[in-house]
Amino acid sequence: MSRPELAGVAMWILGGSSVVAAWRVFRTDSMVRAAYWLLASFVAVGMVMVLLQARFLGLVLVLMMAGEMTIMAAFMVMFMMNPAGLNPMSMVHQHTTAKVAGVVAFAGLAFVGVAADFPDRPVDAASEPTAELGEELLGDSMLIFETAGVTLLATMIGAIAIAGKRGRFGNAQEGSAPPPVDPDAPAGPDARPSPMHGGHGGMHH
Amino acid sequence: MATDADRDVDGIDEDAVSWSDPLPAVLLVGAVLVAGAYATSVLDTAAAHLVAGRRLRLGELVLGPWREAALLAHMRRSTTERPDVQTWALAPALLAGMAAVAVATVPLAPGVAVADVADGIVLFGAAMALVMVGVYLHGWSSNSVFPLVGGYRFVALALSYEMPLALVLIAAALPAESLSVGAIVESQQGLWNVVRQPLGLPLFLVAGMGLASWGPLGMSDGTDLAGGTSAESSGGARLVWALARRFVLVAVAVTGAAVFLGGWHGPVLAGGLWMALKTLVLLAVLVGVGHRVARIRLERFVVVAWAVLIPLALIDVFVSGALVL
Repeated sequence: MSRPELAGVAMWILGGSSVVAAWRVFRTDSMVRAAYWLLASFVAVGMVMVLLQARFLGLVLVLMMAGEMTIMAAFMVMFMMNPAGLNPMSMVHQHTTAKVAGVVAFAGLAFVGVAADFPDRPVDAASEPTAELGEELLGDSMLIFETAGVTLLATMIGAIAIAGKRGRFGNAQEGSAPPPVDPDAPAGPDARPSPMHGGHGGMHH
Repeated sequence: MATDADRDVDGIDEDAVSWSDPLPAVLLVGAVLVAGAYATSVLDTAAAHLVAGRRLRLGELVLGPWREAALLAHMRRSTTERPDVQTWALAPALLAGMAAVAVATVPLAPGVAVADVADGIVLFGAAMALVMVGVYLHGWSSNSVFPLVGGYRFVALALSYEMPLALVLIAAALPAESLSVGAIVESQQGLWNVVRQPLGLPLFLVAGMGLASWGPLGMSDGTDLAGGTSAESSGGARLVWALARRFVLVAVAVTGAAVFLGGWHGPVLAGGLWMALKTLVLLAVLVGVGHRVARIRLERFVVVAWAVLIPLALIDVFVSGALVL
């Protein structure tokens, strides 16, 4: 097989993989598995982008999604109080809404796919997509990307400043204390069991 | 200096086409990884003996890794209650595969690269990001506490070293004006990046040690966690995981030798020999540090990574960029 034929076969395999992996996201019974099936789908899409000569964007997609899906899995496990995401649980909810949204989205995309007149312009072999991307980011569209970029950066710094252990209001650990054993006792740092009581206040009462 | 325009449609260097055939490519990458993993084990034993002041016995040094591997291969495999069997078995394969991808992008001698693609450094970054997924899944899938803690510790570690790692690699790509590892090697003809960008290699080695979870940054499989992500692995599974982790360390050393130590550039000796020597030196440094420096506490490393290593890496990028302009 020649190079273009191989690329065509790879395109079908990767496209199919991305769809199957995306379907598995909803059929699996664990949040960690769901997150990584989604990553598998993204990786397949990234490789399709590589085949379409958008190599830099495709690889960056994989690079970003590997981190993002891991963070997503960690946060989902924390929020759902499902020990480590190991207990089986359903990955689908709001069945009617989901069905309607799914059918509408599929119909819309299918209509565009069938009705649109897609341009047929093979990428010039001598083109340098990475360089062109760089010129776009720092040329005509600089204001848009810089505005978005600086906003996101400020959000990230703000989030870290709020969540950080040593924040504006001092060390986060110093403000917290275990709840008092005696319901009438005042809460707060003073309620911490004193060393005199052996650290297990309430055990002997 | 090769630019993207000199490369053909697939971004593959014309000279390297014979090495991109399937069989030579697999053999070459496999040989580099296996030889590197063996060298890692030998260096590890040697460093342990040297640090303890024990006499080195050649037989133990040369045959030790094989003996250990044979022992593990024959051991019974244990299992846990309701593990995710497929994920547990595939996690080492993901690690080994990503290490192979990283090695494939590096030219091992003039013209000898499996896939010196135009975006090689980005490909290395993407492959190493998936290493985090492999380690986390290895810890998660056994359905056991210590491996899970090891997996989470590695995620915290990985999110901290990834920014310095990406930044020093970008800095190394600046003088080459290309993201291809081959072009970065060629750009070091007269002056190696380790001299031109003195911050680059130390930061890369710290990040690389975290990436392979080795030595002072051995978070995922630390002995303080009863073996971490491999606490529940035994027999063949443990052997495969130990191999996969060494493959990642080898990929770090090979990439470091190409990007910061001038790759195959060097007087008298052949290019491939220089590359092997430089890789061994980096492996010795990475492995040796583990025997001299105690494991750092993760919380402390996270603070150091975000507050010190990232600013240092940014300085590296700014200075390197200014020098290119």
